[in-house]
Amino acid sequence: MSRAGYELPRSAFHLAVAALLLVGASGRAAGDAARGKELFANCAVCHGASGEGNEKLKAPAIAAMPQWYVEAQLQKFQTGARGAHPDDIEGLRMRPMSMTVKGEANISAVAAFVAALAPVRPAATLSGGDANIGKATYAVCAACHGPAGEGNPALKSPPLTQTQDWYLMAQLTKFKTGVRGTRPEDASGATMRPMALMLADEQAMKNVLAYVRTLAR
Amino acid sequence: MLTRYVEAASSYAQDIDGLITLITVLVGFWFLVAQAVLFGLIFRFRAKQGVKAQYISGEEKSQKRWVTIPHMLVLVCDVFIIVGAVRVWTDVKQTLPPADHTVRIVSQQWAWTFIQPGPDGKLDTEDDIKTIDELHVKEGATYHFQLLSRDVLHSFSVPAFRLKQDAVPGRLITGWFKPTRPGAYDIQCAEICGIGHGIMAARLFVETPEEHQKWMEKLSPVARAPTPQAEAEQENTPPAEGASAGAGAE
Repeated sequence: MSRAGYELPRSAFHLAVAALLLVGASGRAAGDAARGKELFANCAVCHGASGEGNEKLKAPAIAAMPQWYVEAQLQKFQTGARGAHPDDIEGLRMRPMSMTVKGEANISAVAAFVAALAPVRPAATLSGGDANIGKATYAVCAACHGPAGEGNPALKSPPLTQTQDWYLMAQLTKFKTGVRGTRPEDASGATMRPMALMLADEQAMKNVLAYVRTLAR
Repeated sequence: MLTRYVEAASSYAQDIDGLITLITVLVGFWFLVAQAVLFGLIFRFRAKQGVKAQYISGEEKSQKRWVTIPHMLVLVCDVFIIVGAVRVWTDVKQTLPPADHTVRIVSQQWAWTFIQPGPDGKLDTEDDIKTIDELHVKEGATYHFQLLSRDVLHSFSVPAFRLKQDAVPGRLITGWFKPTRPGAYDIQCAEICGIGHGIMAARLFVETPEEHQKWMEKLSPVARAPTPQAEAEQENTPPAEGASAGAGAE
């Protein structure tokens, strides 16, 4: 009886500690989410309140982009691995904005908030692409970005189906011309650049993007 | 006086400071005199028992002097200010001294791109040096700048140079500066240009000629690669008199 009487408070103590830890963790998570939302207010100016993007400002849709990808891009912009080329007009605009997110905790918080946004299915803006020809070309892209364009975090390859075609076209062009993916610190960009160079011309890019559009449906 | 608060690092910074000081002293003097007269009169003609307030029309000569004499004196001060301002404006904005170097400054939301000629001394050639948010210049050299905007209105402002020039989309605006003091200084945008206006900052590095040469050699794409012509010239050049035998062919 005395043993049972001793164990009860001990169990209660463990329960209380567990409950406190749980409350603490959930409180922290709630704090991170609130912080993420707060930080996102700066992003929303260009990327839209729902992260839907704005072509006029050349700001792509970012809603539901994976947290690891948003974190990686913010870090690249901050270090100059991306957005520090004199001809990267949109990147140069994004770079100072990325610097308003100070510290890893804030980067994670805003990236988590972006990842939790409802995904968008942007309408096609490019015309003249042949999805059938693009399908064959996409076989190379699929090795990293996945057969359904779902992305692959292990290869640091983002999903392609949630982003506007005009943005993908602009990025392919930047990779091809060396505006993006030429900085030594940008390892994943350096991987992407030779892939973009395989697309011979604008028509080839339109074709593959037309096929990517079919994956988004 | 102002250099105590903001360093002066260009050839015309002292002239602009002098003009601001002149205006501050003259206007400040008349401000203090006006306040002293105002409060003096309020005190002198304060409410007193048995004294009735009177309306003064200001038509008598003795009364008008209170307006006309200070007016004339202020106009004389204005002449000093106008002469000083026109002199500085002419020197800084209306005169373009011969350039030692030219730098192109491209403003955009929310970054500065600086394009300088490489060793060939010409812009728009393959050895151009492009930097983002960092401008390196040589102490004592006169620079012309070509200011452009890619999107909206910006203003290229270097407080240490006392330089501020608007950048207008569609226009190429030329100006000049001559750095006089090595150091690192702030560059800022002085025209509201969007949400990132407050963080559209860059750094200006004024370097000694030796430091600047090293910087150019480090950054210019072709600075360190000798041209075939330079190599041929080097081969054909006889060693200088008194040169150590070990310094050449070995």
